[in-house]
Amino acid sequence: MTVDPNAATQGFPGPGPGPARPGPHPARYLVPALVAAAVALALGVYGKVHDPAGTAFNLAGFSSTGAVKSWLATAAMFFALVQLVSAAMLYGRLPGPAWSGTLHRWSGRAAFLIAVPVAVHCLYALGCQTYETRVMWHSLLGCFFFGAFSAKMLLLRSERLPGWLLPVVGGLVFAVLTIIWLTSALWFFRTFGVTT
Amino acid sequence: MKRPGPLLTLLAGLVLGLFLLTLNATTGTKTASSSYEEKSPSPAPSRSAASTAPTPAPSPSRVPAADADYAGRTDDDAAAIAVTVRDGKAIAYYCDGRAEESWLKGDVEDDGTLRLTGKHGAKLDGTLQDGKRVEGTVTVGGGRHAFSADRATKPSGLWRATATVRSAKIDGGWIVLKDGSQVGILTRDGKPSPAPAIDPETGAVTVDGQQLTARPATP
Repeated sequence: MTVDPNAATQGFPGPGPGPARPGPHPARYLVPALVAAAVALALGVYGKVHDPAGTAFNLAGFSSTGAVKSWLATAAMFFALVQLVSAAMLYGRLPGPAWSGTLHRWSGRAAFLIAVPVAVHCLYALGCQTYETRVMWHSLLGCFFFGAFSAKMLLLRSERLPGWLLPVVGGLVFAVLTIIWLTSALWFFRTFGVTT
Repeated sequence: MKRPGPLLTLLAGLVLGLFLLTLNATTGTKTASSSYEEKSPSPAPSRSAASTAPTPAPSPSRVPAADADYAGRTDDDAAAIAVTVRDGKAIAYYCDGRAEESWLKGDVEDDGTLRLTGKHGAKLDGTLQDGKRVEGTVTVGGGRHAFSADRATKPSGLWRATATVRSAKIDGGWIVLKDGSQVGILTRDGKPSPAPAIDPETGAVTVDGQQLTARPATP
């Protein structure tokens, strides 16, 4: 794999420098995978069991919580696109500045932290529903997203992983977020117009 | 070497989520402040829809009944009835889906007794049964009906839309029952007629060619 020597790749385990590295311990995969499953399952079960409240607090200046969530989700989607670009820089697929690692880290944090209030509202006020195809996929993938994201974060802590693993998991997280956004915010804007 | 960054990110998300959940659970429909707000785009003038947003009145020194929605039918199956309880106040809607409807309002007593009143002498007496059901009688237009309304969860419950379409005052009320069926009346300048169906997920409804949004009705 070609890696720009100037790019700040030290935060990301690429192909390991060690000679003849032994295969990573299975726990390196298993723990993130199990945590991911537990997170996704816990969110889904909460959404299913908890009695949807129907309402939650709204923000001043917005006509509905749907508008608030759509804009927050759109902001998260924007940072997710920054994620995609900065990741391509880190892996040398795009020319990038030395601080692309920092950019990748902080745009990811921003996207995640913006997505959390949206998910909290979804789970608290609406729950996990399956009465419509759009709603079903949104509910399932919404739970899956936070599991996959947890796995990605935990995998970052392990070294000596196969080089393809992080890009694949990261790409999965990005793809899932995109579908979640398409089935919620885009649908909202198309149904109600781009309103605040 | 272990990096703490990703773990801290996860923890921050968890803490934020729990914080917001607590805020939701404790404040109900209040306007939020704090970190939630700085992330959002700048507020723009909101449309008339904002005026239907609930403005809960504080009721000091009382233990209000739990906020809940109820929907059901009268025992004679002549009409549907829905009750929404928020902050110790209740709003109810009686609707036969054709011509007769009534909005009723009032307080919920600490013991779960409801005594709601509406226009033209409409009256509802009921009791909350452990927050699972409302039972009682409703008197509208001279007819007295016993009813029982079960606890309803979104999207079933009580919806309302008010607007002006081509200079006619539109007031629509809908009761979405547990089985997904809808009973609703639309009044144009005070003249009632059966209402078009709303999308129970969004409240979207088309009235005389105009797209309106019904909102969950609150006291």
